[in-house]
Amino acid sequence: MIALIVRRIAAAVPLLLLISIISYALMGLSPGGPTAIFQQQARQLSPAARAEFIHTLGLDKPWYVQYVYWLGNLVFHGSLGVSYVDQRPVVVKILEKMPVTLEMLSIALVCTILIAIPIGIYSAVRRGSAFDYAATVLAFASYGMPVFWLSVIAIDLFAAHLHWFPASGIDAVGHERDPVDRLYHLILPAAVIMTVSLASWIRYQRAAMLNVLSELYLRTARSKGLSERVVIFKHALRNALLPTITLFGLNLPALFGGAFFVEFVFSIPGMGYLGINAIFQRDYPTVMALTMITAVLVVLGNLLADIGYGLADPRIAYD
Amino acid sequence: MRAAWRRFARERVALVGLSAVALILFGVIFGPMLLPYSPIAIDHATIGYPQAPSAAHWLGTDLLGRDVLTRALVGGRVSIAVGFTAMVVAIVFGTLYGAISGMAGGAVDAVMMRIVDALFSFPSFFLIITVEALLNRFALAIIVLILGLLSWMSVARLVRAEVLSLKQRDFVEAARAIGASPARLVFRHLIPNALAPVIVTATFSIGDNILAEAGLSYLGLGVQPPMPSWGNMLQDALLPAVRSAPWLIVTPGLLIVATLVAFALIGEGLRAAVDVTAA
Repeated sequence: MIALIVRRIAAAVPLLLLISIISYALMGLSPGGPTAIFQQQARQLSPAARAEFIHTLGLDKPWYVQYVYWLGNLVFHGSLGVSYVDQRPVVVKILEKMPVTLEMLSIALVCTILIAIPIGIYSAVRRGSAFDYAATVLAFASYGMPVFWLSVIAIDLFAAHLHWFPASGIDAVGHERDPVDRLYHLILPAAVIMTVSLASWIRYQRAAMLNVLSELYLRTARSKGLSERVVIFKHALRNALLPTITLFGLNLPALFGGAFFVEFVFSIPGMGYLGINAIFQRDYPTVMALTMITAVLVVLGNLLADIGYGLADPRIAYD
Repeated sequence: MRAAWRRFARERVALVGLSAVALILFGVIFGPMLLPYSPIAIDHATIGYPQAPSAAHWLGTDLLGRDVLTRALVGGRVSIAVGFTAMVVAIVFGTLYGAISGMAGGAVDAVMMRIVDALFSFPSFFLIITVEALLNRFALAIIVLILGLLSWMSVARLVRAEVLSLKQRDFVEAARAIGASPARLVFRHLIPNALAPVIVTATFSIGDNILAEAGLSYLGLGVQPPMPSWGNMLQDALLPAVRSAPWLIVTPGLLIVATLVAFALIGEGLRAAVDVTAA
Protein backbone atom coordinates (compact mmCIF):
# COMPACT_ATOMS: atom_id res chain seq x y z
CA MET A 1 0.00 0.00 0.00
CA ILE A 2 2.81 2.44 0.91
CA ALA A 3 4.53 1.57 -2.36
CA LEU A 4 1.32 2.33 -4.20
CA ILE A 5 0.96 5.73 -2.57
CA VAL A 6 4.58 6.66 -3.30
CA ARG A 7 4.26 5.51 -6.90
CA ARG A 8 1.01 7.39 -7.42
CA ILE A 9 2.46 10.59 -5.98
CA ALA A 10 5.50 10.19 -8.23
CA ALA A 11 3.16 9.79 -11.19
CA ALA A 12 1.22 12.89 -10.15
CA VAL A 13 4.26 15.17 -10.49
CA PRO A 14 4.58 14.97 -14.30
CA LEU A 15 0.79 15.20 -14.50
CA LEU A 16 0.78 18.45 -12.53
CA LEU A 17 3.66 19.78 -14.64
CA LEU A 18 1.62 19.06 -17.74
CA ILE A 19 -1.40 20.78 -16.21
CA SER A 20 0.66 23.88 -15.45
CA ILE A 21 2.06 23.97 -19.01
CA ILE A 22 -1.43 23.66 -20.49
CA SER A 23 -2.82 26.45 -18.35
CA TYR A 24 0.13 28.70 -19.05
CA ALA A 25 -0.24 28.07 -22.77
CA LEU A 26 -3.92 29.02 -22.52
CA MET A 27 -2.98 32.33 -20.94
CA GLY A 28 -0.78 32.93 -23.96
CA LEU A 29 -3.95 32.84 -26.11
CA SER A 30 -5.16 36.16 -24.86
CA PRO A 31 -5.31 38.51 -27.87
CA GLY A 32 -4.18 41.60 -25.95
CA GLY A 33 -1.38 39.53 -24.48
CA PRO A 34 -0.90 39.37 -20.74
CA THR A 35 -0.10 43.07 -20.74
CA ALA A 36 -3.76 43.93 -21.37
CA ILE A 37 -4.45 44.59 -17.71
CA PHE A 38 -1.46 46.87 -17.40
CA GLN A 39 -2.68 49.00 -20.24
CA GLN A 40 -5.31 50.21 -17.79
CA GLN A 41 -3.28 50.17 -14.59
CA ALA A 42 -0.25 51.79 -16.11
CA ARG A 43 -2.04 54.40 -18.16
CA GLN A 44 -0.73 57.16 -15.91
CA LEU A 45 2.84 55.99 -16.41
CA SER A 46 5.03 57.38 -19.16
CA PRO A 47 5.65 54.94 -22.02
CA ALA A 48 9.21 54.40 -20.82
CA ALA A 49 8.14 53.72 -17.24
CA ARG A 50 5.44 51.36 -18.47
CA ALA A 51 7.92 49.43 -20.61
CA GLU A 52 10.19 49.21 -17.58
CA PHE A 53 7.31 47.95 -15.40
CA ILE A 54 6.30 45.31 -17.93
CA HIS A 55 9.92 44.29 -18.34
CA THR A 56 10.41 43.80 -14.57
CA LEU A 57 7.43 41.47 -14.48
CA GLY A 58 8.80 39.61 -17.49
CA LEU A 59 5.60 40.24 -19.45
CA ASP A 60 7.50 41.21 -22.59
CA LYS A 61 8.75 37.63 -22.96
CA PRO A 62 6.86 34.86 -24.79
CA TRP A 63 4.64 32.67 -22.61
CA TYR A 64 7.02 29.73 -22.45
CA VAL A 65 9.83 31.92 -21.11
CA GLN A 66 7.44 33.32 -18.51
CA TYR A 67 6.44 29.78 -17.70
CA VAL A 68 10.05 28.84 -16.92
CA TYR A 69 10.29 31.84 -14.57
CA TRP A 70 6.99 30.88 -12.95
CA LEU A 71 8.12 27.29 -12.45
CA GLY A 72 11.51 28.38 -11.10
CA ASN A 73 9.79 30.64 -8.61
CA LEU A 74 7.55 27.81 -7.50
CA VAL A 75 10.33 25.24 -7.15
CA PHE A 76 13.05 27.42 -5.61
CA HIS A 77 11.00 29.91 -3.61
CA GLY A 78 7.76 28.01 -3.10
CA SER A 79 5.96 31.04 -4.50
CA LEU A 80 3.06 31.12 -6.95
CA GLY A 81 3.61 34.80 -7.63
CA VAL A 82 1.79 37.96 -6.57
CA SER A 83 -1.60 39.13 -7.74
CA TYR A 84 -1.60 41.82 -10.44
CA VAL A 85 -4.57 43.44 -8.78
CA ASP A 86 -3.40 44.05 -5.23
CA GLN A 87 0.21 42.79 -5.26
CA ARG A 88 -0.47 40.26 -2.48
CA PRO A 89 0.96 36.73 -2.70
CA VAL A 90 -1.67 34.64 -4.47
CA VAL A 91 -1.11 31.67 -2.18
CA VAL A 92 -2.22 33.79 0.77
CA LYS A 93 -5.25 35.05 -1.17
CA ILE A 94 -6.31 31.53 -2.08
CA LEU A 95 -5.69 30.00 1.34
CA GLU A 96 -7.97 32.66 2.82
CA LYS A 97 -10.77 31.62 0.48
CA MET A 98 -10.30 27.86 0.56
CA PRO A 99 -11.96 26.94 3.90
CA VAL A 100 -15.37 28.36 2.93
CA THR A 101 -15.39 26.53 -0.39
CA LEU A 102 -14.25 23.26 1.13
CA GLU A 103 -16.79 23.53 3.94
CA MET A 104 -19.62 24.19 1.48
CA LEU A 105 -18.55 21.37 -0.83
CA SER A 106 -18.12 18.91 2.06
CA ILE A 107 -21.63 19.59 3.35
CA ALA A 108 -22.97 19.18 -0.19
CA LEU A 109 -21.02 15.99 -0.81
CA VAL A 110 -21.96 14.30 2.47
CA CYS A 111 -25.66 15.10 1.97
CA THR A 112 -25.51 13.93 -1.65
CA ILE A 113 -24.01 10.60 -0.64
CA LEU A 114 -26.43 10.06 2.23
CA ILE A 115 -29.44 10.71 -0.01
CA ALA A 116 -28.29 9.26 -3.34
CA ILE A 117 -26.91 5.91 -2.22
CA PRO A 118 -30.06 4.56 -0.57
CA ILE A 119 -32.13 5.81 -3.53
CA GLY A 120 -29.77 4.17 -6.01
CA ILE A 121 -29.75 0.87 -4.15
CA TYR A 122 -33.49 0.74 -3.66
CA SER A 123 -34.06 1.67 -7.34
CA ALA A 124 -31.90 -1.25 -8.40
CA VAL A 125 -33.57 -3.74 -6.03
CA ARG A 126 -37.02 -2.62 -7.21
CA ARG A 127 -35.98 -2.22 -10.83
CA GLY A 128 -38.89 -1.20 -13.05
CA SER A 129 -41.09 -0.20 -10.11
CA ALA A 130 -42.80 3.16 -9.73
CA PHE A 131 -40.06 4.12 -7.25
CA ASP A 132 -37.37 3.31 -9.81
CA TYR A 133 -39.06 5.47 -12.45
CA ALA A 134 -39.54 8.33 -9.99
CA ALA A 135 -35.88 8.15 -8.95
CA THR A 136 -34.82 8.09 -12.58
CA VAL A 137 -36.91 11.17 -13.35
CA LEU A 138 -35.51 12.92 -10.26
CA ALA A 139 -31.97 12.04 -11.25
CA PHE A 140 -32.38 13.29 -14.81
CA ALA A 141 -34.14 16.48 -13.76
CA SER A 142 -31.31 17.18 -11.32
CA TYR A 143 -28.76 16.53 -14.07
CA GLY A 144 -30.52 18.94 -16.42
CA MET A 145 -30.73 21.99 -14.19
CA PRO A 146 -28.33 24.88 -14.78
CA VAL A 147 -26.78 25.45 -11.38
CA PHE A 148 -27.01 29.26 -11.52
CA TRP A 149 -30.69 29.03 -12.45
CA LEU A 150 -31.39 26.75 -9.51
CA SER A 151 -29.40 29.11 -7.25
CA VAL A 152 -31.50 32.10 -8.25
CA ILE A 153 -34.75 30.17 -7.79
CA ALA A 154 -33.59 28.92 -4.40
CA ILE A 155 -32.75 32.47 -3.31
CA ASP A 156 -36.09 33.81 -4.56
CA LEU A 157 -38.06 31.06 -2.88
CA PHE A 158 -36.26 30.25 0.36
CA ALA A 159 -34.64 33.60 1.10
CA ALA A 160 -36.73 36.35 -0.50
CA HIS A 161 -40.21 34.84 -0.01
CA LEU A 162 -40.01 32.40 2.88
CA HIS A 163 -37.12 34.06 4.77
CA TRP A 164 -35.86 30.65 5.88
CA PHE A 165 -32.25 31.25 4.90
CA PRO A 166 -30.06 34.27 4.19
CA ALA A 167 -29.82 35.20 0.52
CA SER A 168 -26.09 35.74 0.30
CA GLY A 169 -22.78 36.03 2.07
CA ILE A 170 -21.34 33.80 4.77
CA ASP A 171 -21.72 35.81 7.99
CA ALA A 172 -24.37 37.95 9.56
CA VAL A 173 -23.11 41.29 10.87
CA GLY A 174 -21.73 40.75 14.37
CA HIS A 175 -21.45 37.00 13.83
CA GLU A 176 -18.16 36.84 11.95
CA ARG A 177 -16.37 33.55 12.63
CA ASP A 178 -19.44 32.10 14.37
CA PRO A 179 -19.51 28.50 13.09
CA VAL A 180 -23.25 28.07 13.59
CA ASP A 181 -24.04 31.23 11.67
CA ARG A 182 -21.57 30.15 8.96
CA LEU A 183 -23.34 26.82 8.63
CA TYR A 184 -26.70 28.57 8.45
CA HIS A 185 -25.41 30.67 5.55
CA LEU A 186 -23.97 27.67 3.73
CA ILE A 187 -27.03 25.40 3.89
CA LEU A 188 -28.84 26.88 0.90
CA PRO A 189 -25.81 27.01 -1.46
CA ALA A 190 -24.78 23.52 -0.37
CA ALA A 191 -28.32 22.28 -1.02
CA VAL A 192 -28.15 23.69 -4.55
CA ILE A 193 -24.88 21.89 -5.24
CA MET A 194 -26.31 18.72 -3.74
CA THR A 195 -29.38 18.90 -5.97
CA VAL A 196 -27.36 19.13 -9.16
CA SER A 197 -24.94 16.38 -8.12
CA LEU A 198 -27.56 13.85 -7.00
CA ALA A 199 -27.99 12.57 -10.55
CA SER A 200 -24.58 11.04 -11.10
CA TRP A 201 -24.50 9.39 -7.66
CA ILE A 202 -27.99 7.88 -7.97
CA ARG A 203 -27.34 6.55 -11.47
CA TYR A 204 -23.90 5.23 -10.58
CA GLN A 205 -25.08 3.49 -7.43
CA ARG A 206 -28.07 2.01 -9.26
CA ALA A 207 -25.84 0.65 -12.03
CA ALA A 208 -23.36 -0.78 -9.52
CA MET A 209 -26.14 -2.51 -7.58
CA LEU A 210 -27.74 -3.91 -10.76
CA ASN A 211 -24.35 -5.29 -11.70
CA VAL A 212 -24.02 -7.10 -8.38
CA LEU A 213 -27.61 -8.32 -8.45
CA SER A 214 -26.90 -10.26 -11.64
CA GLU A 215 -23.97 -12.11 -10.01
CA LEU A 216 -24.23 -15.85 -9.64
CA TYR A 217 -23.16 -15.88 -5.99
CA LEU A 218 -26.45 -14.19 -5.14
CA ARG A 219 -28.31 -17.05 -6.81
CA THR A 220 -26.25 -19.41 -4.66
CA ALA A 221 -27.16 -17.43 -1.56
CA ARG A 222 -30.85 -17.52 -2.45
CA SER A 223 -30.83 -21.19 -3.34
CA LYS A 224 -29.36 -22.14 0.01
CA GLY A 225 -32.46 -20.59 1.53
CA LEU A 226 -31.29 -17.18 2.74
CA SER A 227 -34.00 -14.58 2.99
CA GLU A 228 -34.07 -11.82 0.37
CA ARG A 229 -33.22 -9.35 3.13
CA VAL A 230 -30.01 -11.13 4.06
CA VAL A 231 -29.10 -11.61 0.40
CA ILE A 232 -29.47 -7.89 -0.34
CA PHE A 233 -28.04 -6.41 2.82
CA LYS A 234 -25.31 -8.89 3.71
CA HIS A 235 -24.22 -10.23 0.35
CA ALA A 236 -24.97 -7.65 -2.31
CA LEU A 237 -24.71 -4.30 -0.57
CA ARG A 238 -21.04 -4.30 0.29
CA ASN A 239 -19.93 -5.18 -3.21
CA ALA A 240 -22.31 -2.65 -4.71
CA LEU A 241 -20.92 0.16 -2.57
CA LEU A 242 -17.33 -0.42 -3.62
CA PRO A 243 -17.33 1.01 -7.16
CA THR A 244 -19.07 4.13 -5.88
CA ILE A 245 -15.90 5.05 -3.97
CA THR A 246 -14.23 5.84 -7.29
CA LEU A 247 -17.01 8.26 -8.18
CA PHE A 248 -15.71 10.53 -5.42
CA GLY A 249 -12.55 11.16 -7.42
CA LEU A 250 -14.31 11.34 -10.78
CA ASN A 251 -16.83 13.82 -9.50
CA LEU A 252 -14.48 16.37 -7.94
CA PRO A 253 -13.93 18.57 -11.01
CA ALA A 254 -17.69 18.87 -11.50
CA LEU A 255 -18.09 19.71 -7.83
CA PHE A 256 -15.59 22.57 -8.10
CA GLY A 257 -17.24 23.66 -11.35
CA GLY A 258 -20.58 23.93 -9.56
CA ALA A 259 -18.97 25.90 -6.73
CA PHE A 260 -17.92 28.65 -9.15
CA PHE A 261 -21.48 29.50 -10.06
CA VAL A 262 -23.00 28.98 -6.65
CA GLU A 263 -20.41 31.22 -5.01
CA PHE A 264 -20.95 33.79 -7.73
CA VAL A 265 -24.74 33.89 -7.33
CA PHE A 266 -24.73 33.66 -3.51
CA SER A 267 -21.83 36.15 -3.17
CA ILE A 268 -19.82 33.65 -1.14
CA PRO A 269 -16.20 34.78 -0.92
CA GLY A 270 -14.66 31.41 -1.77
CA MET A 271 -12.29 30.06 -4.39
CA GLY A 272 -14.88 30.20 -7.16
CA TYR A 273 -15.75 33.83 -6.51
CA LEU A 274 -12.05 34.67 -6.44
CA GLY A 275 -11.58 32.72 -9.67
CA ILE A 276 -14.34 34.41 -11.64
CA ASN A 277 -13.15 37.85 -10.53
CA ALA A 278 -9.56 36.98 -11.34
CA ILE A 279 -10.58 35.83 -14.82
CA PHE A 280 -12.46 39.04 -15.54
CA GLN A 281 -9.62 41.17 -14.15
CA ARG A 282 -7.03 39.20 -16.14
CA ASP A 283 -5.17 38.49 -12.92
CA TYR A 284 -3.11 35.66 -14.40
CA PRO A 285 -1.05 34.71 -11.35
CA THR A 286 -4.26 34.17 -9.38
CA VAL A 287 -5.97 32.23 -12.19
CA MET A 288 -2.84 30.10 -12.66
CA ALA A 289 -2.50 29.37 -8.95
CA LEU A 290 -6.20 28.56 -8.58
CA THR A 291 -6.04 26.19 -11.54
CA MET A 292 -3.01 24.47 -10.08
CA ILE A 293 -4.42 24.19 -6.57
CA THR A 294 -7.75 22.86 -7.84
CA ALA A 295 -5.90 20.35 -10.01
CA VAL A 296 -3.81 19.25 -7.02
CA LEU A 297 -7.00 18.77 -5.00
CA VAL A 298 -8.52 16.73 -7.83
CA VAL A 299 -5.43 14.56 -8.20
CA LEU A 300 -5.32 14.07 -4.42
CA GLY A 301 -9.02 13.21 -4.38
CA ASN A 302 -8.49 10.57 -7.04
CA LEU A 303 -5.56 9.15 -5.09
CA LEU A 304 -7.66 8.99 -1.92
CA ALA A 305 -10.47 7.28 -3.83
CA ASP A 306 -8.05 4.69 -5.20
CA ILE A 307 -6.55 4.02 -1.80
CA GLY A 308 -9.99 3.81 -0.24
CA TYR A 309 -11.05 1.34 -2.92
CA GLY A 310 -7.94 -0.75 -2.27
CA LEU A 311 -8.60 -0.78 1.47
CA ALA A 312 -12.27 -1.61 1.08
CA ASP A 313 -11.90 -4.35 -1.50
CA PRO A 314 -9.39 -7.08 -0.70
CA ARG A 315 -9.73 -8.43 -4.26
CA ILE A 316 -7.94 -5.37 -5.63
CA ALA A 317 -4.22 -6.04 -5.61
CA TYR A 318 -1.94 -3.19 -6.61
CA ASP A 319 1.25 -4.72 -7.91
CA MET B 1 -27.44 -3.00 -35.63
CA ARG B 2 -31.04 -4.08 -36.15
CA ALA B 3 -30.86 -6.08 -32.93
CA ALA B 4 -29.58 -2.99 -31.15
CA TRP B 5 -32.47 -0.96 -32.55
CA ARG B 6 -34.95 -3.58 -31.29
CA ARG B 7 -33.39 -3.45 -27.84
CA PHE B 8 -33.52 0.36 -27.98
CA ALA B 9 -37.20 0.29 -28.96
CA ARG B 10 -37.92 -1.97 -25.99
CA GLU B 11 -36.59 0.69 -23.60
CA ARG B 12 -39.70 2.69 -22.87
CA VAL B 13 -37.87 5.64 -21.31
CA ALA B 14 -35.73 5.94 -24.42
CA LEU B 15 -38.80 6.22 -26.62
CA VAL B 16 -40.18 8.91 -24.32
CA GLY B 17 -36.88 10.76 -24.73
CA LEU B 18 -36.92 10.35 -28.48
CA SER B 19 -40.48 11.68 -28.75
CA ALA B 20 -39.63 14.61 -26.50
CA VAL B 21 -36.58 15.53 -28.59
CA ALA B 22 -38.70 15.27 -31.75
CA LEU B 23 -41.34 17.51 -30.21
CA ILE B 24 -38.78 20.09 -29.05
CA LEU B 25 -37.06 20.10 -32.44
CA PHE B 26 -40.39 20.44 -34.23
CA GLY B 27 -41.34 23.31 -31.92
CA VAL B 28 -38.15 25.30 -32.30
CA ILE B 29 -37.95 24.76 -36.06
CA PHE B 30 -41.55 25.43 -37.05
CA GLY B 31 -42.90 27.33 -34.04
CA PRO B 32 -41.37 30.72 -34.86
CA MET B 33 -42.84 30.53 -38.40
CA LEU B 34 -46.34 30.22 -36.95
CA LEU B 35 -45.95 33.06 -34.47
CA PRO B 36 -46.54 36.66 -35.59
CA TYR B 37 -43.67 38.17 -33.58
CA SER B 38 -40.04 38.83 -34.37
CA PRO B 39 -37.55 37.54 -31.80
CA ILE B 40 -35.60 40.79 -31.82
CA ALA B 41 -38.13 43.55 -32.55
CA ILE B 42 -38.28 45.85 -29.53
CA ASP B 43 -41.66 47.19 -28.36
CA HIS B 44 -40.84 50.71 -27.24
CA ALA B 45 -44.16 51.13 -25.46
CA THR B 46 -43.35 48.49 -22.83
CA ILE B 47 -39.58 48.83 -22.39
CA GLY B 48 -38.73 48.24 -18.75
CA TYR B 49 -42.15 46.76 -18.02
CA PRO B 50 -42.19 43.05 -18.85
CA GLN B 51 -45.78 41.99 -19.52
CA ALA B 52 -47.25 38.91 -17.82
CA PRO B 53 -48.53 36.04 -20.01
CA SER B 54 -51.72 37.00 -21.86
CA ALA B 55 -53.79 35.93 -24.86
CA ALA B 56 -51.56 37.97 -27.17
CA HIS B 57 -48.27 36.91 -25.58
CA TRP B 58 -48.75 33.36 -24.26
CA LEU B 59 -45.56 33.40 -22.22
CA GLY B 60 -45.42 37.15 -21.65
CA THR B 61 -42.83 39.65 -22.86
CA ASP B 62 -39.35 40.52 -21.65
CA LEU B 63 -37.69 43.70 -20.46
CA LEU B 64 -37.55 45.06 -24.02
CA GLY B 65 -41.12 44.11 -24.85
CA ARG B 66 -40.16 41.10 -26.97
CA ASP B 67 -42.40 38.00 -27.08
CA VAL B 68 -40.90 35.38 -24.73
CA LEU B 69 -42.35 32.36 -26.55
CA THR B 70 -40.89 33.49 -29.89
CA ARG B 71 -37.52 34.18 -28.32
CA ALA B 72 -37.53 30.89 -26.44
CA LEU B 73 -38.19 28.94 -29.65
CA VAL B 74 -35.63 30.84 -31.73
CA GLY B 75 -33.22 30.66 -28.78
CA GLY B 76 -33.81 26.91 -28.73
CA ARG B 77 -32.59 26.69 -32.34
CA VAL B 78 -29.41 28.50 -31.30
CA SER B 79 -28.83 26.50 -28.09
CA ILE B 80 -29.51 23.11 -29.67
CA ALA B 81 -27.44 23.96 -32.75
CA VAL B 82 -24.52 25.03 -30.54
CA GLY B 83 -24.90 21.88 -28.42
CA PHE B 84 -25.08 19.61 -31.45
CA THR B 85 -22.20 21.08 -33.46
CA ALA B 86 -19.93 21.29 -30.41
CA MET B 87 -20.70 17.60 -29.85
CA VAL B 88 -19.67 16.85 -33.45
CA VAL B 89 -16.39 18.74 -32.95
CA ALA B 90 -15.69 16.81 -29.74
CA ILE B 91 -16.58 13.44 -31.25
CA VAL B 92 -14.50 13.91 -34.40
CA PHE B 93 -11.49 15.21 -32.51
CA GLY B 94 -11.79 12.72 -29.64
CA THR B 95 -12.26 9.74 -31.96
CA LEU B 96 -9.22 10.62 -34.07
CA TYR B 97 -7.13 11.35 -30.98
CA GLY B 98 -8.12 8.11 -29.26
CA ALA B 99 -7.65 6.02 -32.39
CA ILE B 100 -4.20 7.46 -33.07
CA SER B 101 -3.17 6.98 -29.45
CA GLY B 102 -4.41 3.39 -29.37
CA MET B 103 -2.84 2.52 -32.72
CA ALA B 104 0.52 4.12 -31.92
CA GLY B 105 0.94 2.48 -28.54
CA GLY B 106 4.13 2.79 -26.52
CA ALA B 107 5.54 6.18 -25.59
CA VAL B 108 3.29 8.15 -27.97
CA ASP B 109 0.23 6.55 -26.40
CA ALA B 110 1.52 7.23 -22.89
CA VAL B 111 2.15 10.91 -23.59
CA MET B 112 -1.17 11.38 -25.38
CA MET B 113 -3.09 9.78 -22.53
CA ARG B 114 -1.26 11.82 -19.87
CA ILE B 115 -2.45 14.94 -21.72
CA VAL B 116 -6.00 13.60 -21.46
CA ASP B 117 -5.50 12.94 -17.72
CA ALA B 118 -4.22 16.47 -17.28
CA LEU B 119 -7.23 18.01 -19.06
CA PHE B 120 -9.52 15.81 -16.97
CA SER B 121 -8.07 17.27 -13.76
CA PHE B 122 -9.32 20.77 -14.53
CA PRO B 123 -12.82 21.69 -13.62
CA SER B 124 -13.71 21.81 -17.33
CA PHE B 125 -16.11 24.67 -16.89
CA PHE B 126 -13.44 26.85 -15.32
CA LEU B 127 -11.27 26.09 -18.34
CA ILE B 128 -14.06 27.05 -20.73
CA ILE B 129 -14.76 30.34 -18.97
CA THR B 130 -11.05 31.14 -18.84
CA VAL B 131 -10.55 30.54 -22.55
CA GLU B 132 -13.68 32.50 -23.48
CA ALA B 133 -12.73 35.41 -21.27
CA LEU B 134 -9.16 35.46 -22.56
CA LEU B 135 -10.17 35.26 -26.20
CA ASN B 136 -12.93 37.78 -25.60
CA ARG B 137 -14.59 36.86 -28.90
CA PHE B 138 -18.09 35.52 -29.06
CA ALA B 139 -18.87 34.47 -32.63
CA LEU B 140 -21.01 31.32 -32.60
CA ALA B 141 -18.26 29.37 -34.35
CA ILE B 142 -15.76 30.24 -31.63
CA ILE B 143 -18.13 29.21 -28.84
CA VAL B 144 -18.78 25.91 -30.62
CA LEU B 145 -15.06 25.29 -31.10
CA ILE B 146 -14.23 26.05 -27.47
CA LEU B 147 -17.00 23.85 -26.11
CA GLY B 148 -16.02 21.05 -28.49
CA LEU B 149 -12.27 21.30 -28.01
CA LEU B 150 -12.56 21.19 -24.23
CA SER B 151 -14.91 18.21 -24.00
CA TRP B 152 -13.43 15.51 -26.25
CA MET B 153 -11.38 13.73 -23.58
CA SER B 154 -13.86 11.08 -22.50
CA VAL B 155 -14.44 10.17 -26.16
CA ALA B 156 -10.70 9.82 -26.69
CA ARG B 157 -10.40 7.48 -23.69
CA LEU B 158 -13.31 5.35 -24.88
CA VAL B 159 -12.05 5.03 -28.44
CA ARG B 160 -8.50 4.29 -27.32
CA ALA B 161 -9.70 1.50 -25.03
CA GLU B 162 -11.81 0.01 -27.83
CA VAL B 163 -8.95 0.28 -30.33
CA LEU B 164 -6.53 -1.38 -27.92
CA SER B 165 -8.83 -4.37 -27.53
CA LEU B 166 -9.96 -4.48 -31.17
CA LYS B 167 -6.49 -4.37 -32.62
CA GLN B 168 -5.68 -7.75 -31.09
CA ARG B 169 -8.66 -9.33 -32.81
CA ASP B 170 -8.33 -11.70 -35.73
CA PHE B 171 -10.26 -9.64 -38.28
CA VAL B 172 -7.84 -6.74 -37.78
CA GLU B 173 -4.90 -9.13 -38.07
CA ALA B 174 -6.43 -10.46 -41.28
CA ALA B 175 -6.89 -6.97 -42.71
CA ARG B 176 -3.27 -6.19 -41.85
CA ALA B 177 -2.11 -9.43 -43.44
CA ILE B 178 -3.74 -8.58 -46.77
CA GLY B 179 -1.89 -5.26 -46.72
CA ALA B 180 -4.37 -2.71 -45.42
CA SER B 181 -2.68 0.62 -44.62
CA PRO B 182 -2.80 1.91 -41.04
CA ALA B 183 -5.24 4.63 -42.10
CA ARG B 184 -7.53 2.02 -43.69
CA LEU B 185 -7.29 -0.11 -40.55
CA VAL B 186 -8.31 2.83 -38.39
CA PHE B 187 -11.13 4.24 -40.52
CA ARG B 188 -12.48 1.05 -42.02
CA HIS B 189 -12.02 -1.52 -39.25
CA LEU B 190 -11.35 0.05 -35.87
CA ILE B 191 -13.44 3.23 -35.64
CA PRO B 192 -16.69 1.68 -36.98
CA ASN B 193 -16.42 -1.11 -34.41
CA ALA B 194 -15.67 1.33 -31.58
CA LEU B 195 -18.61 3.56 -32.41
CA ALA B 196 -21.34 2.22 -30.12
CA PRO B 197 -20.09 3.65 -26.79
CA VAL B 198 -19.14 6.86 -28.61
CA ILE B 199 -22.73 7.37 -29.76
CA VAL B 200 -23.95 6.97 -26.18
CA THR B 201 -21.45 9.61 -25.00
CA ALA B 202 -22.43 11.88 -27.89
CA THR B 203 -26.08 11.87 -26.81
CA PHE B 204 -25.18 13.08 -23.32
CA SER B 205 -22.65 15.52 -24.70
CA ILE B 206 -25.32 17.54 -26.55
CA GLY B 207 -27.02 18.25 -23.23
CA ASP B 208 -23.75 19.02 -21.46
CA ASN B 209 -22.92 21.54 -24.17
CA ILE B 210 -26.34 23.20 -23.88
CA LEU B 211 -25.70 23.59 -20.14
CA ALA B 212 -22.21 24.93 -20.74
CA GLU B 213 -23.51 27.47 -23.26
CA ALA B 214 -26.11 28.59 -20.72
CA GLY B 215 -23.42 29.02 -18.08
CA LEU B 216 -21.19 30.99 -20.43
CA SER B 217 -24.08 33.21 -21.48
CA TYR B 218 -25.04 33.80 -17.85
CA LEU B 219 -21.58 35.29 -17.33
CA GLY B 220 -21.92 37.27 -20.57
CA LEU B 221 -19.34 35.09 -22.32
CA GLY B 222 -21.68 33.13 -24.56
CA VAL B 223 -24.12 33.85 -27.39
CA GLN B 224 -24.42 37.63 -27.59
CA PRO B 225 -27.70 39.56 -27.75
CA PRO B 226 -29.83 40.41 -29.65
CA MET B 227 -29.55 36.79 -30.90
CA PRO B 228 -31.49 34.79 -28.32
CA SER B 229 -30.25 31.58 -26.72
CA TRP B 230 -31.66 29.86 -23.65
CA GLY B 231 -28.54 30.91 -21.79
CA ASN B 232 -28.65 34.62 -22.55
CA MET B 233 -32.44 34.71 -21.99
CA LEU B 234 -31.66 33.49 -18.47
CA GLN B 235 -28.99 36.14 -18.14
CA ASP B 236 -31.60 38.79 -18.97
CA ALA B 237 -34.16 37.19 -16.69
CA LEU B 238 -31.83 37.02 -13.71
CA LEU B 239 -31.09 40.74 -13.67
CA PRO B 240 -32.29 42.04 -10.30
CA ALA B 241 -34.52 44.55 -12.14
CA VAL B 242 -36.77 41.83 -13.55
CA ARG B 243 -36.78 39.35 -10.67
CA SER B 244 -40.46 40.13 -10.22
CA ALA B 245 -41.22 38.56 -13.63
CA PRO B 246 -41.03 34.80 -12.96
CA TRP B 247 -42.18 33.88 -16.49
CA LEU B 248 -38.84 35.17 -17.75
CA ILE B 249 -36.91 32.84 -15.42
CA VAL B 250 -39.10 29.77 -15.74
CA THR B 251 -39.46 29.46 -19.53
CA PRO B 252 -35.82 29.11 -20.66
CA GLY B 253 -34.88 27.18 -17.50
CA LEU B 254 -37.58 24.55 -17.97
CA LEU B 255 -36.78 24.25 -21.67
CA ILE B 256 -33.14 23.54 -20.79
CA VAL B 257 -34.15 20.94 -18.20
CA ALA B 258 -36.65 19.28 -20.58
CA THR B 259 -34.14 19.12 -23.43
CA LEU B 260 -31.37 17.72 -21.25
CA VAL B 261 -33.65 15.11 -19.72
CA ALA B 262 -34.87 14.10 -23.18
CA PHE B 263 -31.35 13.62 -24.53
CA ALA B 264 -30.29 11.81 -21.34
CA LEU B 265 -33.21 9.39 -21.66
CA ILE B 266 -32.16 8.60 -25.23
CA GLY B 267 -28.59 8.15 -24.02
CA GLU B 268 -29.65 5.73 -21.29
CA GLY B 269 -31.75 3.76 -23.78
CA LEU B 270 -28.87 3.58 -26.23
CA ARG B 271 -26.52 2.49 -23.46
CA ALA B 272 -28.85 -0.32 -22.50
CA ALA B 273 -29.27 -1.27 -26.18
CA VAL B 274 -25.58 -1.43 -27.11
CA ASP B 275 -24.37 -2.95 -23.85
CA VAL B 276 -25.04 -6.61 -24.41
CA THR B 277 -23.68 -7.55 -20.99
CA ALA B 278 -26.41 -5.63 -19.16
CA ALA B 279 -29.35 -7.91 -19.83
